[in-house]
Order: sequence, then C-alpha cells, then structure tokens
Amino acid sequence: MLRVIQSYVGKMPPLPVTVSKVLEICNNPKTSPVDLNQVISLDPVLMGKVMRLINSAYYSLPNQITSLVRAIIMLGINTVKNLALSTAVLSTLGKASDFQALNMEGFWRHSIAVGVTAKLIASKRSVDVKQREEYFIAGLLHDIGKIPLNNRMAQEYVQAVSLTDRDHIPLYQSEERLLTVHHAAVGKMIVENWRLGENLADAVSFHHHLGEYAGKHRELVLTVAVSNLFSNTYELGFSGDRYPENLSAALLAELGVDWDYLESIEEGVKAEIEKAQVFLKVAR
Amino acid sequence: MSAIRVRFWGVRGSVPCPGPKTVKFGGNTACLELRFGEAGRLVVIDAGTGIRELAAHVMKTDLPRGPLKTQLFLTHTHWDHIMGFPFFIPIFIPTTELEVYGPVTYEDDNLNEILGGMLKYRYWPVRLEELAAKIRYHDLKEGSRDLGDGLWVTSKYLNHPILVLGYRFEYQGKVLCTAYDTEPFRNVFDVAPDAPGYDAEAVKEGEAAAREENEKVSRFFQGADILIHDTQYTHQEYLAGKVGWGHTSFEQAVNAAHRAGVKRLLLFHHDPDRSDEELERLERRIRASVAGHSTLQVFIAREGMQVEV
Repeated sequence: MLRVIQSYVGKMPPLPVTVSKVLEICNNPKTSPVDLNQVISLDPVLMGKVMRLINSAYYSLPNQITSLVRAIIMLGINTVKNLALSTAVLSTLGKASDFQALNMEGFWRHSIAVGVTAKLIASKRSVDVKQREEYFIAGLLHDIGKIPLNNRMAQEYVQAVSLTDRDHIPLYQSEERLLTVHHAAVGKMIVENWRLGENLADAVSFHHHLGEYAGKHRELVLTVAVSNLFSNTYELGFSGDRYPENLSAALLAELGVDWDYLESIEEGVKAEIEKAQVFLKVAR
Repeated sequence: MSAIRVRFWGVRGSVPCPGPKTVKFGGNTACLELRFGEAGRLVVIDAGTGIRELAAHVMKTDLPRGPLKTQLFLTHTHWDHIMGFPFFIPIFIPTTELEVYGPVTYEDDNLNEILGGMLKYRYWPVRLEELAAKIRYHDLKEGSRDLGDGLWVTSKYLNHPILVLGYRFEYQGKVLCTAYDTEPFRNVFDVAPDAPGYDAEAVKEGEAAAREENEKVSRFFQGADILIHDTQYTHQEYLAGKVGWGHTSFEQAVNAAHRAGVKRLLLFHHDPDRSDEELERLERRIRASVAGHSTLQVFIAREGMQVEV
C-alpha cells in the first residue's frame, strides 16, 4: 500500500515550489513588476491560470490580453499579485473531481483556516514579518498528505473517516489502522519530494506527534498543531477529523495562547476564509 | 437650454481640507452634479464630502417636484470618493430610488458591502439595512450602457492602484468625460539593463502596452466638450517621488486633452496641500502656455463652479 502512495506522490506535479515563491514575492510590499513577472512566468500552469482569470468575465475587457507584462501595466501590480497568489494557493489542492471521501470545499476551507490561524498566532508572538508567510504555508499544507490517500484509495479512506466517527478516535489513527500509513507520513513524502525545506517538512510530519519531535522548528510545528486543533474543534472547514487529540494546557501556554484567545480570533479567521472563497469561485 | 450641465460640489483629492488656504477652491472631496436637458435629469458622480451640500440642494430643488429617482456613479471606492455617502440625505427618504454604479476590485467585497461597511454602528448610528430608500447596486466593468431618454454612459478602466472607471456621458450630441483618479500608463518593465530580472522582451512589450493603453484612454475622451481630469500634482512634484501613485500632473493632463481635441478641460482632484494662491498661479501659468497654441479652454475646478454645454 505504501508503494502505491509513494508512486502517486512521485507523480504529483511540482507546482508548490512556485507557490512558496509566489507567496514570498506577493507578500513583500517592495516587490517590483519585474519580480512578479519573472516568478509567474516561470510556471506555465500558473501563468495560464492568471491569464485566464484576467480574460474572464470578471473584468470583461473588450480585447483579449495575451501577455502578463500587459496585464501588469493595465491592471496594476496589486491586482495581478492577488490573482497570482490565489491561483497559486488553489493549485496545491488538486481538482474537485479528484476528491472522494473528503469534499474539496471543506478540505480547502480547513487548510486556509489552519494557515490563517497559524499566521495570526505568529504575528501575536511577534514572529519576524518575513517568516509569517512560512507559518501560513505550513498551515495551508499541513494536511496535504490526505490528498493522495483520499484520491488514490478513496474507498479505504471513506472507511477511515467513518471509523473515526464510529470509535471517536483521531483520523490519523484510523488511517494507520486501515491503510497502514497516516496522512502526516504521506505529507512528509510530498513535502520532501517538493523540497520545500526542513521547517515545512517538520510541520507537516509532526503536527499530530509533537511528543516525538526534537527538531529545530518546534515553534512552527506547535503553532500548526494548535491551529489545526482549533480549526477542527470550531469546525472551520472539514478535514475528516471530528475527534482530534486534545493538546495540553502546558503546550498552549508554551505558545502563549489559550482558548479565550483562539475564540477571539474565530470571526477573523472566518472572514479570511470568506475572502479566499471569492478566489475559489473565480480561479477554478 | 444646454444639453449637459455640471456643478462641482467637491474638487479635492485624498482628504477634506477646510481652512483659510482653501476658501476659494473649496476643501470638500470629489462630488459632481450632472444635469441633462430641459428636464434637468440628475446624475451624481462620486460621493465625497461634497455630496452633503448637494443633498441639501437636491432637497430644495428636486424633492418638491416629486420623489427622487437618480443614479450615483462611483469612479472607484477609495475613501475620498465614498466618505460622504452616509450624508446624502435622500437615502433616508422612503420614496427615493437610487441606482449606485461603480467598479469593484477583484479581491474585495461587492459595492453593497463596501458602502454598507461605512454604515455600521462602530462608524455611524444608522445601519445600511435601516436606510429607507430603495437602493440598487451595480458592479460596473468597461462598456456602454443606455440610461434612457437618450442618455448614454461609457466606462473605461483607468490607471490607479485600484480599479477605477472613467465615465463618458453622451446626451444630445454633447459629451462630458471624467478621467480621475488616474496616471498615464507607463512601462514599469523599463529598468536598467544590468538590473536583476532585466528582460529585453518585457521592456519592448511593456512599451507597446503602455502606449496602446494611453491611446485607448485618449480615444475614450476624444473630442469631449468637457473633460474633468485628475491633476493632483505639478510635473515637478510628480517626478520627485509621486510616480506610480496613480495621479496625473497638470502638464500631462493639458497635453493629453489637447491631443484628444478636447474643448474644455476642467482640472480636478487637487492635492489637499494645494493652496488657493497656488491654484490661481497654476491656472494663469497653464492658460498662458496654451494661448496661441491650442483652442483648448482650461479651468481649474472649484466648488460651486458650473459649466454647461
């Protein structure tokens, strides 16, 4: 079974390298039109999607725009930055038709929720502005391992989600029981395959196994774990994990947050998801 | 009776700036009252702080003749162009029917939510849901639209850090255009050949794109009887740090209007720091520079000013 997953992971398109570049470029207020053009142009898929969006009914431009250079001059760098960002983020999630046990919309909302929460916690902790995007990406991608499981072994995955509901156990345990491998381990393969860096690999691999973690990126891993628990508990989106393992008060205290704080950001996180929803509609 | 009449209720950009230095030209932000034909059909452009006094005027002149049915065109949703909306008294009158048109930027809410966002308890004691008038919102793109009674409006995207529409109103063969807030399109890819990311192809493509976009804007106000154009900066100010801010210099606007065969140019969207004295000096200077070279008539827009064609 592991071999099937490994082969699937090996064939996953290497888009997310661009995603992190786009995120980096788009979140830097000093980004120049030249940088933006370069990073989008490097990725023909992203480029195609951005161009399709620019030429969509959204702008109803009378003439077809065929170059990104022209789009940036016409619509301005901010607009194109946002188009690229949303398109890039969406592209990590695969097509709706690939989704079997988990529904794409719910999974997507959950991923955004964890990303946004992680970034909010990072800013509360005064993490360097440049690193906050890393928190967002880590949150966004933490469950990426569920995509191959859900898509390649749909039937078994439906059973794993049901087992979680029936026995009130965390989803990763149901996965292990029925599929011999859990989504964090699969996620690790993907992130390593994409060479996204040790920090993201750790966040994806250990977000359910904090106790076993002894690496250098504890703050990031812990932030993603807490953001994930919060999003599951408050049902922001849906990733199949209705009975997540609780985290001790000591772990939350280590991060300097508590449930009152998390509750206070719920509306803000929801608003961010809604905002991103617009992208989902237009960019697909 | 003239076909189109325009009255300026607010001529400033960015922020209201009342005070002794702005008495003559006024300190309110953008708001234009357009009247068409004998019936004096009303169309409003922008809801800057000038709209408050327009509201009082409308209450006195229009309301006694019956319920108000009108259109409000927003050039864009930057603060200085919408902040007067809660003070447009007719929105509190149940018989009012208002159609609001404007562009909406990709990542933002729709027009209803953007204007409604100002009508929340944290900002203002009346909420959008409590407005008595019947208000309909229309997200606008580029294109032409028949407003009835022979009145047409064409909208065109301009160049500003947010989506902005210029409007071209045509009625009984006369044309009034707005071109604000905007900056001439420029080739943002024209960097030094040794700069990182330099791409000769992009420079060439950017050159063509900027030129063509500027030509489109020029065609948009080609032959206008009245053109109301952004002139937030002098050219010296523009070059000294305002490039890319989305505004035009006096010199650029005058040249563009002259090239497009515009008959009357109204310079508009004054910088809040621009004093009456400076504006008067600029007006004299610009008129002197145009005299003998062009049939273009140039005025600096001021509050209360009326122009008709």
